[in-house]
Amino acid sequence: MDSTRHWIKFLAKRLGGLALSLWIVSLITFTVTRLIGNPVYLLLGPRYTEDQFQAAVQRLGLDRPIWDQYLTYLGNVLTGDLGVSRYTQTPVLEDLLHRAPATLELSTLALLLGVAWAVPAGIAAARNPRGWFAWFADAIARIGVSLPGFWLSLLLVFVFFAQLQWLPAPLGRIDEAYRDLPVVTGWMTIDTLLAGNLAAFGSALAHLVMPVVALAITTCPSIFQITRARTEEIMASDYIRSARAFGMPDRTIRRYMLLNMAAPVLTMIAMTYGFLISGTVLVEVVFTWPGLGLYAVNAMSHSDYEPVQGVVLFTTAFYLFLYMAADIVNGVIDPRARASS
Amino acid sequence: MSAVDIAPARPSLFRRAIDRNGGWRVAIVFGALAAIIVLGLLAPLLPLQDPIKPNPLAKLAAPSLQHLFGTDNNGMDVFSRTIYAIRTDFTLALSSVLLGVLVGVPLGAISGYFGGWTDAVVSRLSEVIQGFPQILFGMAFIAAAGNSLTSVVLVVAIYNVPVYAKMVRSVIVPLRDIDYVQAAKVAGNRPMRVIFRHIVPNAMTPVFAQLPLSCAYAVQMIAGLSFIGLGVPIPTPEWGSMIQLGANYMVFGKWWLSIFPGLALFLSVWLLNASSTILQSIWARRT
Repeated sequence: MDSTRHWIKFLAKRLGGLALSLWIVSLITFTVTRLIGNPVYLLLGPRYTEDQFQAAVQRLGLDRPIWDQYLTYLGNVLTGDLGVSRYTQTPVLEDLLHRAPATLELSTLALLLGVAWAVPAGIAAARNPRGWFAWFADAIARIGVSLPGFWLSLLLVFVFFAQLQWLPAPLGRIDEAYRDLPVVTGWMTIDTLLAGNLAAFGSALAHLVMPVVALAITTCPSIFQITRARTEEIMASDYIRSARAFGMPDRTIRRYMLLNMAAPVLTMIAMTYGFLISGTVLVEVVFTWPGLGLYAVNAMSHSDYEPVQGVVLFTTAFYLFLYMAADIVNGVIDPRARASS
Repeated sequence: MSAVDIAPARPSLFRRAIDRNGGWRVAIVFGALAAIIVLGLLAPLLPLQDPIKPNPLAKLAAPSLQHLFGTDNNGMDVFSRTIYAIRTDFTLALSSVLLGVLVGVPLGAISGYFGGWTDAVVSRLSEVIQGFPQILFGMAFIAAAGNSLTSVVLVVAIYNVPVYAKMVRSVIVPLRDIDYVQAAKVAGNRPMRVIFRHIVPNAMTPVFAQLPLSCAYAVQMIAGLSFIGLGVPIPTPEWGSMIQLGANYMVFGKWWLSIFPGLALFLSVWLLNASSTILQSIWARRT
């Protein structure tokens, strides 16, 4: 009974925190767009007529008090009205939903690849910190954090496309020939399989290799570092020493270690995923990947600003949501995280 | 030989850096970083070609003795531009980080000292700002505030404020109730004096160790923004925009346009990261 109440309180606190953060996000974006810049310019771009100007002032309600403008803005955002892109002439929300799968597929696969390398490597490096493997993995992680993702992407394109011709040109998600496959999930790897077209699936995979590798190398080193540090800490701890002294089987000791390691590593994975969703921007530009990042960059170069704001809101909300989810999972695994809240 | 000299002298900072990281490592990291900075400072005095002078007769020339890193599509010397870009990138990075420190340190100090409502607002705000996607928020900010160097410096500074506010706060909260701080209060010092005279100096060590790391992030973000054409205007030598310029030529095998500025960017970020690690190890408690 008491524990149920405890849980409800814990969840309510997390959800409340998320709602509060999202509200602050809306305040910041409102401030940036309405107070720092010229909102008419943001809506109309550099060239506009007097009529358009009046219409924009009307639409934005610039003649009304600031708190009233904010409430309208908040209402619009909450009902999913993120404005209309002047360039594509479609509502921003529609564009976002249409393009999100490309970014999600890219960043999810990059995260999976990164985790598949970083977590085992971190554990292995911690078990033998003076060995060659620990040195090697650490060097890769250090190089990874210092490499600019967009430049690494270009290097990969130069080597594997321009020189070796092993991988396809950096022009989108799939070969021209397969572009009219039916869209079901928006994930090329899944849609091509659903269509039963193995050649198309191969093409989608080949297009994914370079951007996924570039993103995994540059964004996942922190997962390696935290896994390694945490494992070393746990291996040196009193409770593991006691467990060993009591002659516990290796299996049990391993379970203790994993459970104690899980919370910080999961938090880091969630944060990395959040970063990836927006960290893809520059890599998408290199590979002309039709995701959210390229959408924002293209809009920017057409002086079309509502899409940029839409992408910022969307990715920030995604990040904050992931962060909360990781917090909740931590609470499930680790009772201390629940108690300290 | 005196009787007072019981405890061994505390080893110097330099000694501790070498003890914990190895002499070679310290020498290489700080030596190379210093070399890059000096190279940037002295660039106008060195016998380099004009970094923004186009040469229609030598467009896209491969690296040679005359043009060590080749030339770009305007015939500008890539070697000279890569060196001059140190000035652009380091200046922008350093000014945005220092601006972040200037705002973040007092903010963290005040919120940590007074606690309560101020603290709650500052902490939550820091968390949200750090949740904003860097490049995208930079784009939105630049869209609103205009495409200028000031906007770039401001947006990078905005990211650094929470970093330092959080760091200073975490040092100050445990010090708040410690005896010497209480004594300073009882002696009748005003809160601001207690904070900045007696508490903040304790927080400056981690702040100092964090500086190069922040600069590394700042350089990466500045280069990333100018890679998509934001911030630094075109003929100005800057690594990100140079890489962007060369990106289209990469597929045609003209690698020198993007490779060299990218290497310079990577090397600078690497050295800044490594020097931050060394500085942190000096002040970390020995385990």
